[in-house]
Amino acid sequence: MTSSAKPALWEQFFWPLVAAGLLLAVWQFSVVWTGTKVFPSPVSVEKGLIGLLQKHVLWSDIGDSLRRVALGFGFATVVGVPVGLALGWYPAMNQVVNPVLQVLRPISPIAWIPIAIIFFGVGDRAAIFLIFLAAFFPIVVACISGVSSVPAIFRRAGRNFGLSPVHILSKVIFPAALPQILIGLRLALGVSWLVVVAAEMIAVDSGLGYLVIDSRNSGKRYDLVVGAMLIIGLIGLALDTGIRRLEKIRSVRWGFRHGS
Amino acid sequence: MGLRGKIAVIALGWLVLISSLHAYLNVNWAAVLNDYRPASKRKITVAYLPVTCQLTCPVTDYISKYSLSGEEFLPRMFQGFPEIKEALISNRVQAAFIVAPLALALKSQGVPIKVVYLGHRYGSAVVVRKDGPIKTFADMRGKTIAIPSRFSDERLLLFRAMKVWGIKPSEIKMVEMAPPDVSGALAAHAIDAFVMGEPFPSQAEMAGFGRVLFQAREYWPDYMSCILVVRQDLIDSRPDVVQVLVDGVARSGLWLDTSKPHREDAADFVGRFYYNQKPALLRWALTKPMDRVTYSPLAPRKADFDMVRDLMMETGVLNKKLEFEDYTDTRFSDQASIQTPWKYEPGTAVAK
Repeated sequence: MTSSAKPALWEQFFWPLVAAGLLLAVWQFSVVWTGTKVFPSPVSVEKGLIGLLQKHVLWSDIGDSLRRVALGFGFATVVGVPVGLALGWYPAMNQVVNPVLQVLRPISPIAWIPIAIIFFGVGDRAAIFLIFLAAFFPIVVACISGVSSVPAIFRRAGRNFGLSPVHILSKVIFPAALPQILIGLRLALGVSWLVVVAAEMIAVDSGLGYLVIDSRNSGKRYDLVVGAMLIIGLIGLALDTGIRRLEKIRSVRWGFRHGS
Repeated sequence: MGLRGKIAVIALGWLVLISSLHAYLNVNWAAVLNDYRPASKRKITVAYLPVTCQLTCPVTDYISKYSLSGEEFLPRMFQGFPEIKEALISNRVQAAFIVAPLALALKSQGVPIKVVYLGHRYGSAVVVRKDGPIKTFADMRGKTIAIPSRFSDERLLLFRAMKVWGIKPSEIKMVEMAPPDVSGALAAHAIDAFVMGEPFPSQAEMAGFGRVLFQAREYWPDYMSCILVVRQDLIDSRPDVVQVLVDGVARSGLWLDTSKPHREDAADFVGRFYYNQKPALLRWALTKPMDRVTYSPLAPRKADFDMVRDLMMETGVLNKKLEFEDYTDTRFSDQASIQTPWKYEPGTAVAK
């Protein structure tokens, strides 16, 4: 198969499934071969997860995690996109704010946990705050770079057509920057799902992150730890596939040269 | 020398400087060299947390290191019980101070460990806000209280108090939190109360916003939480080493309970060299009053453990009726009980 040939539909699913199957086989074999009593085999992970399903907690854990990520990511989008647009639109403002932004950006959400507890207490709001923090910075940065990379000729053309600044921003700059903004949103969604485990360390009692931590705390339930990790990974894949569909919207497709 | 040569020399010099500083400051050479000793002479690694329940661990290490021929074991500080548990299961540490219910839970899940000694008695308290609405335990209805873990004696202590006051389990919300977080959370009104081991109650008291509602002893005579567990393979292969460890802990316990100066001295060197806490905090926890936490007698007793086991089964964190003999090995404590305290007076050895 050459790189430019489009694989047949069955191939798109068949080979990844083979790869996953191989990985499971290697995993199972290594567990049997080393005779470990601690690390779980794929079969015991499956058994543990089925046990959770029968207790009807797995779906609510998944739902709670998704809800927290949706809220945190949603707030980050609602706040981050306008902030990013404004900072990109007014470079002077950006010069003032940027250093602070760059200092806050690399701080791991885990480091924020004590502060989150002090500000938001224990429970949902602190967890959502951490997810918000993680998603906020990539969105803002993508918006700034999106707006500032819009060719100046677009603005001039807009002005020549007599558009007001608000209209230039909404009708010209925003659509032009949208492909970059979408990349930022995609990154941010990935990061928000990434920090769900850290966010759910703060005394909440549901969610997949909580499932990891709780199973870890409850002695030797590493089957559930690994099971929750796998589910987190699969849902992360689903989320990313979902948000990539946005890139196929007609009005932004031009921004993705390699998109099909 | 050309520019390139200069850069190379500077880079090399920098590398050597950083490496030697790292080797001097960060590397625990005792632990590194220990891995290269023959198995029969290797020192065992003992895991502990920076809480007063486990104070005998650093005390034993300090006193044996500075007043005797050298350290008896390699203490290794952890930040939480889950990490200790994982290190214990995977044989990265051979002995550890953990909470009693966790030891029972691990044993019931087939982890090969035995309880050989206790870490302390008492030393846990329920703390509420000083000016808050909780005046007696009855006011706890409908409130949120932080516990260190589901497998903690502090949680069981709450259940004992709830029984006395006729409070149903559904009436109090318990949240599991990392001990270092609770003090700030209480001050910020994020929780209404917490139950933790020292020095966290002392921390809230010293800072002026916390008030001890009750000490563990009020609802649980002879309360114990942290205990010393050892891996079965170590007991089988080197019982003499386990005995030395238990002797050291026993002598430290007796030494700590001998007099107030001993405790103040311990607060000083443990806070500075082991726990990285303010000595004043440990001093408060160890001496206000002196019986806030005690370190003798520390031999495991059937009655204490049976009560923990029954409470665990009652509250749903243990589903097997373990017998005392299954998870303890009392021969070490039997021999250690005749030990005398360390002959070490504050100031007799020079601290590094």
